[in-house]
Amino acid sequence: MRTTIGLRLRRDRRGVSNIIVVALSLVIIIAIVSNVVLWSYQMNQLDWEKIQEDVKISNVTSISTIRSPWFVVQSEYTVTSGSRVGGTYEDTQVANDGSWETFREGQKAPTYRLDVSGTLTLDLSSYPLWSISTVEIKLRYRASDTGENWYLKAYNWTANVFSNSGFNSTAGHTPTKNWDNYAVNLADQWRSYVRDDGTMRVEFHDEGNDAVRTTIDIDFLGVRVVASGTRFTFENEGALTCHLVSLWIINSTNHQHYNINVFVNSGQTLNYTRSDIRLPSGQYTVRVVTKRGNTAVYSAS
Amino acid sequence: MRRLTRDKRGITPVLSNVLLMAIAVAGMSIAITATYVITNNLRETMGERFIVEDVWFKTGEIAIYLRNTGKIPIKVAAVYVNYTAQSFTSLELDVDSHGWLNVTYVWDSDSVYHIKVVTSRGAQVADYHRSPT
Repeated sequence: MRTTIGLRLRRDRRGVSNIIVVALSLVIIIAIVSNVVLWSYQMNQLDWEKIQEDVKISNVTSISTIRSPWFVVQSEYTVTSGSRVGGTYEDTQVANDGSWETFREGQKAPTYRLDVSGTLTLDLSSYPLWSISTVEIKLRYRASDTGENWYLKAYNWTANVFSNSGFNSTAGHTPTKNWDNYAVNLADQWRSYVRDDGTMRVEFHDEGNDAVRTTIDIDFLGVRVVASGTRFTFENEGALTCHLVSLWIINSTNHQHYNINVFVNSGQTLNYTRSDIRLPSGQYTVRVVTKRGNTAVYSAS
Repeated sequence: MRRLTRDKRGITPVLSNVLLMAIAVAGMSIAITATYVITNNLRETMGERFIVEDVWFKTGEIAIYLRNTGKIPIKVAAVYVNYTAQSFTSLELDVDSHGWLNVTYVWDSDSVYHIKVVTSRGAQVADYHRSPT
């Protein structure tokens, strides 16, 4: 059988040529069609997904109290009196994680002293100064003796000195030899302690000269802001997860655009809070846009 | 080599075969290039998607905020307001990018305008927008 076909092909060369031309043409046609069909399928999928999206804004409200995450030190502490015994500043970035940084009072008896300070930076892009109502400082520490109080202060950028003037509490904290939480609020004097770029310096020191050489373990030191802002409630009633990428606050005089990056699962109601957004007075419209190109609108006054 | 120089009849089939092969290769190259160009153009045209996020009537102009939601970059080629082409600032948007398209136009308050944005590959988005009072 093979011999017969081979003989025929050898005799009729035009037949071989025709077969080659047809085969190559078929390859080209299949390449074109498959490419176009596959791409068309992909784009149809995109359009189908867009149709399936169903997101809406169910509520928009101004809120007066938003607490930011804790901002922690990003470099080693400055030790003015005493010394660092162990650990690093990174051990003070997360509370209750089993790691801490240890300091010890200086060596000159009977005038043992400890004074450490760290620099922290508030995220003013998320929490602009105009939205902040106050700042809180929190310390989690453990002292080896209970003989003296310990104090938190912040650097006053106007007076160029560490101070606790205007704090809600200036009496300091008496340790218990166990892990203690010590927090202060800067009340309405916070602005003196926050530089225009969001930098804060926080100092932790002992009460004064004493005859006991104390060791201090610092598990956590952080600051956070209490700010006002706006809360948006998004509802996804579609079958697909929505990726919200754009937020608009529109009134008669301004169309303000914000980039956002929020995912709302199918069937989920999600509260999204922004401290850098203030709702305008009078009538306004809030619009949110998904990555697939759908829009949800909320109007209020 | 000696055989070839003695038998001149053997050169003709070799040359013809080489020429045929060259022609076949050239033909295939042209066909493949044409295939690529045709499919690429089709893909690009099919892959264009964009939306108008916002239309802002400003003094002496209409600002249109566009977002590219397709799979290829787009370039705005024309903007029509009430079916008349208008001048605008050039705008090219990569995939997932967005930006303002400023159209020079003196509009009247509390009027409805039909605004159409057309890309260089022919995709278009059109809608009616009411100007503020």
